[in-house]
Order: sequence, then structure tokens, then C-alpha cells
Amino acid sequence: MESPPLTFGQLLERHERELFAYALRLTGQRADAEDLFQDTFLAAFRAWPPPRRGSERAWLYRIATNRAIDRERRSRRIVASTDDLALAAPERDDAALVDLAGAIRTLPAGQRAAFVLRKVNGLSYAEVASILECSEVAARARVSEALKKVRSAVA
Amino acid sequence: MKIEDAVVSARERLVARAKREGLATVGYDVLESPLGPLWVAITPKGVATIHYGAEPPESELRRLVRVYGPGVVPDHRRSSPLARELDQYFRGRRRRFDIPVDLSGLTPFQGRVLAQTAKIPFGDLLTYRTIATRIGNEKASRAVGGAVGANPIPIIVPCHRVVATDGSLGGYAGGLEAKRTLLAIERPGAVPLGGWPPAHRV
Repeated sequence: MESPPLTFGQLLERHERELFAYALRLTGQRADAEDLFQDTFLAAFRAWPPPRRGSERAWLYRIATNRAIDRERRSRRIVASTDDLALAAPERDDAALVDLAGAIRTLPAGQRAAFVLRKVNGLSYAEVASILECSEVAARARVSEALKKVRSAVA
Repeated sequence: MKIEDAVVSARERLVARAKREGLATVGYDVLESPLGPLWVAITPKGVATIHYGAEPPESELRRLVRVYGPGVVPDHRRSSPLARELDQYFRGRRRRFDIPVDLSGLTPFQGRVLAQTAKIPFGDLLTYRTIATRIGNEKASRAVGGAVGANPIPIIVPCHRVVATDGSLGGYAGGLEAKRTLLAIERPGAVPLGGWPPAHRV
């Protein structure tokens, strides 16, 4: 296991790419993703040090997820751009992305976070649960509900 | 556009904001040089670290954090005056550095040794023993060697100008080849492999 970060720079270098991609997937827009990315790391810097040895990754995901949910509650405006989604998932083709973007867009924020963490970022259910601050059972339920909705939307 | 570019620009904006909010006080960067990559850190007082390599040693990060807190962030803008002066030096166009240095967080002994080391002019050489004498403790050559060896700001605090009393090069954090290269920039004519023959002893 890597030693805990001593500086903000170490935290950034270790996790910035992953967190930016996550922000992009959650918000669907580059400008919003940048805001979320900034808010997440600034909140982490203000709350320094990371809570427990080795847990800083889950900590960052948790901050990002909570902030994304808060922002969405405030604005209710989510318009995913396919260009920005292509940036997050360059391996997929545009047609599939349009569908997927639309499908993800319709999910409630908590389900969308669960879906992206599990199905796009490939985190374990234990990690998803820790990030969303819920039980593993609840995390599974959210992912499965989200998956059902996405499947029916892109079918 | 690649995601890497988007991340870099997001990071730059984040760092600018962290600086504005007083969360980040020390900027670091990795500079290319004829001696390989140099990890450098700049504090509000000046250059605090020049490390041979692309990754900083943990001891150095700990020193920076001890003095300035964890707000140590990547910052190209902050390093550009240093990059310019180093570049001029390596091209043989600069004999003295104007950029201020920051020796905070060192022991008083190390501070005294490095203050003496910083006074050695371009192209000159001093021995560990002479520095020991100048700080008023002529028997402390070995301790002086240790303090010079742990110099956090090589090149600018010119520890490469400190050699052993017998004329051999002594040691160097960046390796003896780097020491030889620096001395060759300052003293035209090749530097002998092991140092200078007795006739040229300092």
C-alpha cells in the first residue's frame, strides 16, 4: 500500500485523473466536471489530513459524490454533451454514447453515482458503499436499479 | 482533445484557486537539465529544493511540510524564473544566481555550513576543512562534509565547489559525474577523473 500523501501535490498526482474522469461521467459536461473537480480537491485540502491511512481515494470519491448530488439538487440542470462523454470514454462509438448519455442523464444523482462507480470505474461494492455512505446491500440495490433503467433506455 | 489535456488545465485552475485562497504556499516542478531531471520547490522566500531526480525524497517533502504545511502543489509558473537562471548557468552565460534561496527548516549547524558554501565564488574551490575553520570549528571537517552532502539546494548553493583536502572530488548528491560537469562549466579544461594532482591542490 502506498504511504499516505504528505502534500496536496501528492494527493493530486495520485488521483486527479481518476477523479476528473469520474466528475466528467457524473456531470456529463466538461465545464461542470471542472467545477466539481475543483470543489472536490479544495474541500479535501481544507479538511486535510485524509481520514485514515490508505483511504484517501474513497474519501475523494465521497466528497465528489456528495458535492455532485448537492449541486444537482440545487440546479436540476443536467445536459450531457456527447463530446464531453467521449472524452470520458474514448473507446466507445458516438451512437452508443448518445444513448448512454441520455440514459445516464435520466438517473437520479445517487443512482447515477452508484452506476458510474460500479459499472464504469469498476469499484467493488464495498468501495461503492463506503463512498456513498450506505450499506453494501443498498449499494447493490442502487446499481441494479440504475442498470435496469439504463438497459431499458438504450434497448 | 485528450482527457490528459483536460486534466492538466483543470489542475492549473485548481492550483491557482488554492493559491488565491491561501491553501497552497509552495510550488514545485520538474525541470529538464543537462544533468537529468531536477525536482525543484519554491516557497514564498525563494528556492528551497533542487533535487537530482524527478521524484522528491520523502525527507525533503517532510522538511517543506514542517515549515510550510501540506500546501505543496505542482506549479510551472512559479518555477520559471529558476528555470531561466539554471538554463543560463548551464549554457555558461551566468556566473551568479539572483534568485533568493530558502534554507528554512535546517539545523543551525547546517545553515552555517551552507551559508559559507553559498559564498564560494563561481569557479573557485574550497575544502571541507576550510569551511570548518570558517565556521569556527576546524575539527568539524567530517560534520561539514555531512552538512554539505545534505545540501537541499545544490547548484545554487554551490556544494560542488567543495572538495576534499587531498584534492579528490569528495562526494556529490547528484553523482560525481554531475560534480565534474558543473566544475567543467566553471573551470574550462577537463577536470581530472579523481580530482586534481597535488600541485593543483587547493
